[in-house]
Amino acid sequence: MSERYTTGALVRRALVESPALRQGLRYTLILAMVGQAVTVVSPIVLQMIIDEEILDPAGLSLPGVVQKAAVALAALIIGVVVGRISLLRLVRSSSTGLSDLRTKTFDHIMRQSVLHVQEERRGNLVSRVTSDISTLQEFMEWGGVGLIVGLSQVLLAMTVMLVYEWRLALIALGFVAFYMLMMRWFQRILAKNYDEVRREVGRSLGVLSEATSAIPVVRAYGTEENTRERVADALERRFRIEYVTNRFANTLFSTAEVFAGLLTAVLIVVGVLLGIEAGMTAGTLVAFLFLANLLIEPLQIVVETLDFAQAAASGLRRVIAVLDGEIEIEEPEDPQPLRPGGLSARFEHVGYSYPTGPPVLQDVTLDVPVGARVAVVGETGSGKTTFAKLLVRLLDPGEGRIFIGGVHAPKIRLAELRRRVSFVPQEGFLFDDTIANNVRYGQPDASDAEIWTAFHELGLGDWVERLPNRLDTRVGERGSSLSAGERQLVALVRAWICSPDLLVLDEATSAVDPALDVALRRAIDRLTEGRTSVTIAHRLSTAEGADEVLVFDHGRLVERGSHRELLAKGGTYTGLYADWAAGTKAV
Amino acid sequence: MTESGLTPWSVVRDGLRLIGRFIRAHPGSFAIGVAGAAMFAGSIIASSLVIGWITDNVIISTLEEGAEPDLLYLAAGVILAVAVFKAMGIVLRRTAAGWLQGKTRQDVRNQLLAHQLRLKMSWFNRQAIGDLLAVADSDVQQGTGVLGPLPYASGVSALLVGTIVMVFLIDPWLGLGAVIGLALVIAIDVHGSWITYGMWEEVQRWRGRVSSVAHESFDGALTVKALGREGYVSERFGTASNELRDRIIDVGSTWTKYQVIIKSLPQILIVVLLVVGSVRIDAGAMSAGDLVTVSYLLSLLAFPIQLIGFVLWDLAGSLAGWQRVQDVFDAEDFVVYGEETARSRAGAAPVEGSGVAFAYEEEPVLADLELEIAAGTTLAVVGPTGSGKSTLCLLLARLWDPDTGSIRLEDRDVRTFGRSELPKEIAYVSQESFLFDATVRGNVTLEENFSDDDVWHALRLAGATEFVDRLSDGLDTQLGERGTTLSGGQRQRLALARALVRKPRLLILDDATSAVDPSVEAGILRSLKSAELPSTIMVVAYRPSSIRLADEVLYVDQKRVLGHGTHQDLLESQPGYARLVQAYEEEARRMEREAS
Repeated sequence: MSERYTTGALVRRALVESPALRQGLRYTLILAMVGQAVTVVSPIVLQMIIDEEILDPAGLSLPGVVQKAAVALAALIIGVVVGRISLLRLVRSSSTGLSDLRTKTFDHIMRQSVLHVQEERRGNLVSRVTSDISTLQEFMEWGGVGLIVGLSQVLLAMTVMLVYEWRLALIALGFVAFYMLMMRWFQRILAKNYDEVRREVGRSLGVLSEATSAIPVVRAYGTEENTRERVADALERRFRIEYVTNRFANTLFSTAEVFAGLLTAVLIVVGVLLGIEAGMTAGTLVAFLFLANLLIEPLQIVVETLDFAQAAASGLRRVIAVLDGEIEIEEPEDPQPLRPGGLSARFEHVGYSYPTGPPVLQDVTLDVPVGARVAVVGETGSGKTTFAKLLVRLLDPGEGRIFIGGVHAPKIRLAELRRRVSFVPQEGFLFDDTIANNVRYGQPDASDAEIWTAFHELGLGDWVERLPNRLDTRVGERGSSLSAGERQLVALVRAWICSPDLLVLDEATSAVDPALDVALRRAIDRLTEGRTSVTIAHRLSTAEGADEVLVFDHGRLVERGSHRELLAKGGTYTGLYADWAAGTKAV
Repeated sequence: MTESGLTPWSVVRDGLRLIGRFIRAHPGSFAIGVAGAAMFAGSIIASSLVIGWITDNVIISTLEEGAEPDLLYLAAGVILAVAVFKAMGIVLRRTAAGWLQGKTRQDVRNQLLAHQLRLKMSWFNRQAIGDLLAVADSDVQQGTGVLGPLPYASGVSALLVGTIVMVFLIDPWLGLGAVIGLALVIAIDVHGSWITYGMWEEVQRWRGRVSSVAHESFDGALTVKALGREGYVSERFGTASNELRDRIIDVGSTWTKYQVIIKSLPQILIVVLLVVGSVRIDAGAMSAGDLVTVSYLLSLLAFPIQLIGFVLWDLAGSLAGWQRVQDVFDAEDFVVYGEETARSRAGAAPVEGSGVAFAYEEEPVLADLELEIAAGTTLAVVGPTGSGKSTLCLLLARLWDPDTGSIRLEDRDVRTFGRSELPKEIAYVSQESFLFDATVRGNVTLEENFSDDDVWHALRLAGATEFVDRLSDGLDTQLGERGTTLSGGQRQRLALARALVRKPRLLILDDATSAVDPSVEAGILRSLKSAELPSTIMVVAYRPSSIRLADEVLYVDQKRVLGHGTHQDLLESQPGYARLVQAYEEEARRMEREAS
C-alpha cells in the first residue's frame, strides 16, 4: 500500500511521524554549508599568492603572503567550529528522531491485532525496528549529509568560478549537468541490480536460518550433507550476484575519474586559449584546476551513497508501510465501565473470516451467564480458537456484535478489559526471565508471597519446590528449559494471578499429564465459583463437568446444552464424545 | 577502548594475523587488488606532477611570458591518459577487494554451518538460535569487514610515502613541513578512531539489546496482548531504544570533533606550505609549478587520508566480530561417531538401555535407568509432566548422549554408528514438528529417493492424505517458512509421515500427535497398528487409547523406570500409574456420582 508513495512523500511522512527529525534542521543545514564553504579557501589563496606575490614582477613580499595565509587560516578555523556544531546537531536530531520513529513503529506493531503479528514473518517485523531504522541512521549521518553538503560545495565552487571567469565556469557547469544526468541513468540501472542483490541476500539468510534452527531435525534424520548443499547453493548464488553487481557499480563509479580528467584537460586548453585574448591570469587558471576537483568529489560521494540512499529509501518505505497498517482493535472514544463481579458474555450473529480465506465463524449467537462454566468443543478447524480470540477481543468480528458484562466490547477500555478478562493460549509462551517475573507479566506488582499462593492454590506448589531455584529459576529463551507441559503451568498461573472475572482457556493444559490436568480443572472450578470461565477443551473431561457445552462444527455453533443433554441427543457431540471415551478407557 | 583488553598494538598484531589468514586462502585476488591500488596511487602522484609541469611550461609560460602554447594539446592528452589509468586502477582494486570479501564470507559461512553440524546438542542447548544466526550473518559480515578497504589502505600508504618522497625531492623544507603535517593528521586520526571504537562497541551492545527485546515481544505477541501488557513491553523497548540513542549521540559527539579536524587539517597544511613555498620560490629554490604540484597533491590526499583511521577502526571492529565467529569454531564438543554401518530395513530392532543417567545441568533428569524392548514391540512410555520421557526419547535417538550407561540397538551401542548411519535405522518425531520452507513432498522425503507411492503411503498412515489432497498443488504445494500455512495438527501429521516413509527399525514418537484431534489420532493409531510396520515403536503418550494399542508400557517417574509390563499389570501393581491413566475415567465417574 505504501507503493504509491514517492520518495519525497516518504520523507515528508517520516518527518510528520517523528518531528524531532526536522527540529532545527534548517539551521543545521545552513551551518553545514557554512562549514563546507571553507573548502574553497585554499584555491582562492593559492590564486592570490601566485598572481599577486610569486608572479609579481616587483617580487614577493613576505608580510603580504603571511597576511593572506592568516586570513585563510582564520576562515578555516571558523569552518571547523561551525562544521562541528552542525554535525553535532545533526547527530542529535537524527538519533532522537529515529529512536522516536523506532519506538513508534514498535508500538504500532504491538497494537495491531494478533492476526497481524502472527501472519507476518516475525523476523521481518524485527527488521522493521532494527536494521531498517539503522539504515536510515547510516544514511542520515553519512550519505544524506554528504549529499547535501557535497551539493552545497558544488554550488560554492561554481560561484567562485563564475566570479573568476564566467566562460570557464559555464564549461564546468555543462560538464556537471551532463554528469548528473548520467548519474540518474546509473542510478536506475543500479537500483535493479541492488534489488536483486537484496533478494539473494534475503534468500541466503533464510536458508541459513532455517538450517540452523533445524539442526535437531537434521541430526535426527541424518540429512547433514543435504542441508550443507542447500546452504552452499544459496551462498554461491548470493556471491555471484553480489560480485557482478559490485563490478558493474565499480565501473560506473570510476567514470567520475575519467570525467574529472576530461574537465581538467578542457579547462586547461580553453583557459590557455582564452587567456591569451581575455588576459586571464595564471593564478586564476590554476585555481580553476583546484576548483574542478571540488566539483568532482561530491559527485563521487553521490555515486558512493547511491546504495545507502536506495537501502534507506526501501527501509523507510517498509517502516511507513507498517505505520500505515490499520490498528484493528481500537480504544473506545466514549468508554463505558464494566460492573464489578463476574462477567457475562453475549454473541449476536457474530461472523469472522481471515482476510484471504473462507468464513471461520458464521452467525454465532449465544449467551454465557455470569458464573457459568462453559466448555467449547469441536474438531480442529471448527472455529473454536477464533471464538476464544473474539471473546477476549484479540480480534474484532466481521459481522455481528459481542457484549462483555452487558457492554458492547468495543466500548470497553482495553486496559480494563485485559484486567478483568484473562486469556491463556495453548502455546504457553514464556519470556527469558525467572518463573516469578513471568508470572508478574500478569500482575506486575505481585509479591513473591502472592505468587507462591497462586501456585499453591492451583496445587502446583510441589512442582515449584522441585525446581532448582524455585521461583527464581530462569526459564531460558521462550521457556526452553521447561517442558511444554511445564510452560503451560506457568502460563496458567500468570493468568490466574490476575483473579479474572472471565477466564478463557484455549487448550491451556493440552501438554499436561491427565492426573495433573484433572487436578487443575478441579482447582479452577472450585476457585472460580461465582466467576465465569470458558474453556476450549481438547479433552472432553472438561465438558463433562461444565454447566454448558458449546459444540462448534465448520464455523457454526451446532449444539449447546449440558453434557448429558447433548449425549442424549445423538448429534455431533455424541460422536466426539464416543471418540474421546474410547480413547480414555483404561481397560 | 581498553575494556576489552585491546591496545592499538594488539589490534594491529591480531588484525594482521586475521588478514593474513584471509589472504592466504585467496592470495591472487589480494595481489590484483594491491596492484590496482598501486595504479591508483601512482596516477595521483603522476597527475599532480603533470599539473605542476603544465603550470610552469604551459600556463605561466603562455599567459605570463607570452610564449606559444605548443605543448597545450599534449598536456591535455597526458591529463586524460592519467585519469583513464587511475579509473582502471580503481575498478581493479575495488572489484578484487569485493571478490575477496565476498568469497571469504561465503567460505566462512559454509565452514560455520559444517562445524555446527558436527557439534553436540548439549552445545546447541547453551546457545540461543538468534545468537547463532547473528554470528553467521552480521558477525561474519563484520569480521571480514576489513577486507573491503584493505587494498585501498595499502594504496593510500603507498601514496603517503610517495607524497613525502616527492615533496622532499622538490624541496627539503617543504618536505619537512609535509612530514610534520601529515604525521599530525594521521596521529589525530588514529587516536580518534581508537577513542571512538570503544564507544561504538557500546552502541553495538545496545543494538543487540533492542533487537532481542523486539524479537521476544513479537514472538510472545499473543501472550502480551492477552495479558494487556503492550504498554509494558513498549516501555521496555522504548528504554532500550533511548539508551541506544544516547550511546549513538555520545559516540557522535566525540567522532564529529575528530572528523572536522581531520577534514580541515590538510587544507590548513596547504595554506602553511604555500607560505613556506613562496619563501623558497623567492629564494630561487623551486618553481611556481612545484608549489602547485605539492598543493594539488595534498588536496587530492585530503579524502584518502580521512580513511586511515577507519582502517584501524575496521580492524578492531573486524577482530570483535571475528572473535564471536572464532568462539563457534573453538567449540570442539563434537559428536563422536563410530564405524558401524546401518542395517537398513532389516526389520524391527530390539533396544536395550542399561545404567542410563542423564542431567541437562546439575539436576539429574534420569538416573540408573534400565530398559529392554524386544524387536517389534510397541512400547508406550507413560509418566507425569516433567518426568523425563522426552529426554529418554532424545537419548534413544542419540540427539543427546547419556552421562553414564549405554543404549544399544540390536546389540550395537548407538554411539558406535557412523555419521548419518543411525538415522537409517531410527526415526524420531518430536512434539514440536519442524517443517522446512519446501514442498509437502520435500518435507516428507527430505530430498531422499522415495517414490510418490511411498510418500502417499506414509501420508495415509499418518492420516494426512485428506488435507494434502485438498492443498492446491498436492505433494508439490510449497509450505512457507516453518509450515506456517498449516495447522499444528497438520504439521504433526507431516512430520509423522516423514518418519514413516523411512520404514525405520525403531520409531520414536514423543507426543507426536498432541495437536491432532482425538478422533483423527485414534484413526492414525489404528492404521499404524494394522499396518504391521517393520518397526519397534516407542511412543510417549497420555491417552489410554494410545496406551492400549501398545504391547507393553514403561512407567517413568522420579527419574527412573518404576514399572515395565502390560497395561493391565501396571494398573494392578502401580497405584501411581493407575491414578495417572485413569484420571479422566475417575473424574467422569466422580461427576457421575455428584450428578445423581
